[in-house]
Amino acid sequence: MATREAGKKMIMLKSPDGMEFEVEEAVAMESQTIRKMIEDDCADTAILIPNINSKILSRVIEYCNKHVPTTGATGAAASDTVAPAALAEDLKIWDAEFIKVNRATRFDLIQAASYLNIKGLLDLTSQTTIDTISDNSLEEIRSFLSTKNDYLPEEEQTIRRENQWAFQ
Amino acid sequence: MRLLMSKKRHRLRCRRRIRDRGPVALVAKRNSLRCQQDDDYHVDRGISCPGLPEDILRHIHAKMTLRDAARAACASRTFRHNWICRPHLAFSLGTLGLNRNASRDVITRDLISKIDLIMQNRSGIGVKTLDIDLYSCDNIDFAYLDSWLRIAVTPGIEELILTLPLPTIVFENAVPIISVYNFPCSLLSNGSGNSIQYLDLCYCTLRPMADLGCLRSLTRLHMSCTRITGDELWCLLSNSPALVCLKLLHCEEIFSLKIPSLLQRLRFLEVAYCDRLQVVESNAPNLTTFYFAGFVGQISLGGSLQVKTLRMICFHQTNIVCYARQNLLAIAPNVETLTISSLNEMVNTPMLSSKFLHLKLLQISLVGMAFSGAYDYLSLVSFLDASPCLETFVLAISQHRMQHASILGEPSHDLRQIPEQRHDKLKSVTITGFCSAKSLVELTCHILENTTSLDCLTLDTTCHPSCSVTKSDKCHPLILMDGDSLVEAQKALLAIRKYIVGKVPPMVKLNILEPCSRCHAVESLVSTAGSS
Repeated sequence: MATREAGKKMIMLKSPDGMEFEVEEAVAMESQTIRKMIEDDCADTAILIPNINSKILSRVIEYCNKHVPTTGATGAAASDTVAPAALAEDLKIWDAEFIKVNRATRFDLIQAASYLNIKGLLDLTSQTTIDTISDNSLEEIRSFLSTKNDYLPEEEQTIRRENQWAFQ
Repeated sequence: MRLLMSKKRHRLRCRRRIRDRGPVALVAKRNSLRCQQDDDYHVDRGISCPGLPEDILRHIHAKMTLRDAARAACASRTFRHNWICRPHLAFSLGTLGLNRNASRDVITRDLISKIDLIMQNRSGIGVKTLDIDLYSCDNIDFAYLDSWLRIAVTPGIEELILTLPLPTIVFENAVPIISVYNFPCSLLSNGSGNSIQYLDLCYCTLRPMADLGCLRSLTRLHMSCTRITGDELWCLLSNSPALVCLKLLHCEEIFSLKIPSLLQRLRFLEVAYCDRLQVVESNAPNLTTFYFAGFVGQISLGGSLQVKTLRMICFHQTNIVCYARQNLLAIAPNVETLTISSLNEMVNTPMLSSKFLHLKLLQISLVGMAFSGAYDYLSLVSFLDASPCLETFVLAISQHRMQHASILGEPSHDLRQIPEQRHDKLKSVTITGFCSAKSLVELTCHILENTTSLDCLTLDTTCHPSCSVTKSDKCHPLILMDGDSLVEAQKALLAIRKYIVGKVPPMVKLNILEPCSRCHAVESLVSTAGSS
């Protein structure tokens, strides 16, 4: 339900496991998917967010809450008092803490960021994943990303030869 | 829905994987993984953890470095598919992990063979960005480049950045010929001209013909050390109606640069060190920023009222400050930010009635071995007088020897004053390379006595930022001041104390910067020890 609280428009987000989250419209609009719904007037009642459970949705909201002042409408006010560089540095530290989660949670966050179209969160979660697998062995990469080796042995030899430079 | 289905599929796949290999395999691998993953595996061990849907794996793969992406291509067919369709390709010594210390021959051979292997294995599906840096190579066979460009420059390409090696001299029938890569413009006629947004060429020849076709999406065009004539450039520009930013550096075949008025979106123009350039004539109506460096010839920006930022860097030419005062108003009447660099001023800056009504920030750099002792710094008041809205004034003096008459020893009542001047918007004044020249002290006193709005005056007796400013451990050896400069800095400090400090009103913050005592003390000890 869209309500008003202290002059700020509030939006109700609902997870499939029945939890409801009331968030400021500006925070919810960090998600381009939700922004589109709001702009298309589909947000009169609570917005059901499919596929994202309450645990993940609450983390996503936490992320948007933290990031809204720098990019949202209140950005100007915040950057008037704090130097933009200091603000960005602070956010980076916060992000690094935020993303210290186990693999399953991180994968859920990536998918949530992708579905809700939150670029900053998608970049953060993808980059952390890339950093984790960078320089690992093929088995480790496969294992971490839950990807099966679907090559025939001779195919694998050929592709290994083609990309030999990347293993040197 | 799609997401849900793929999630289910991955979960099933993951369960299968764990059933097939069992948790033992995972435990065994754990030891070789890094800490972060250790945590992940502690939590996930034995629990079915779904993988990621293909679109997200594609996103992750596209963001990997070239090397990581090539490795990942060996992990599964999905990644291999992503690899051969990789939209962004940036090839350089760094991205290909090549040894920078190898000989040029080895570098050339390795770089060419690796890029060729990757390019020849492409699926033929759209490259969006192609960035090839061959600067470290020698004598490359241009047929390779032709072939790579044929593969990559297809409809859908958005960015093309080519940095070729320095041209070499080759002999054909004993006749020396400078070998420069001739960019195949015909590639842009096949539809890729519609999608290309950014073209950046370095050490190429570009000969666009009349049948080039429209580059309707081209917004940024950068050319460095590129052979293109003024007429050819006109042809290219006439076909680039969406252009926003044009940069030309060291393009020595251009004598006359003319920019057609149909470039309605052109905002930014930079022309630097095109040594034979005599005429710059822009008719682009919405140009806001013009950066010029080199020898000033005839410049016209079509009287554009939109030009707000203007930079003229002329390290090889004298009297540019005077030129700017006399001519820039006709070039950019509404300029708000103006930066001027001059080698030397042999004539004083004239007082004129014309006004820079919108100028807010003025930076003047005087960069010479020894700036002419005849130049009267106080004549810079001409700019302050002409700029009623000026808020920030920066004067940067960089010289090895001070040739002006020093003020030290002069009685303070001998200082000249310019009557009936008021600057009531000027808030911040910075003078770097501050010396004891009498006319410079007079300029400073003039500003202090006639500026009601001044908040901050910074007088820096060094020419370059010291270690305390750059936050490094030690001043950079190149900017360590020599003995003469240190003596002059001491004189400047004396002059500030004697003639300036007493005139600073209480509400003005005065910053005085002096040579870093730590680095320069060490230097003087070393030189003393060396000479004894």
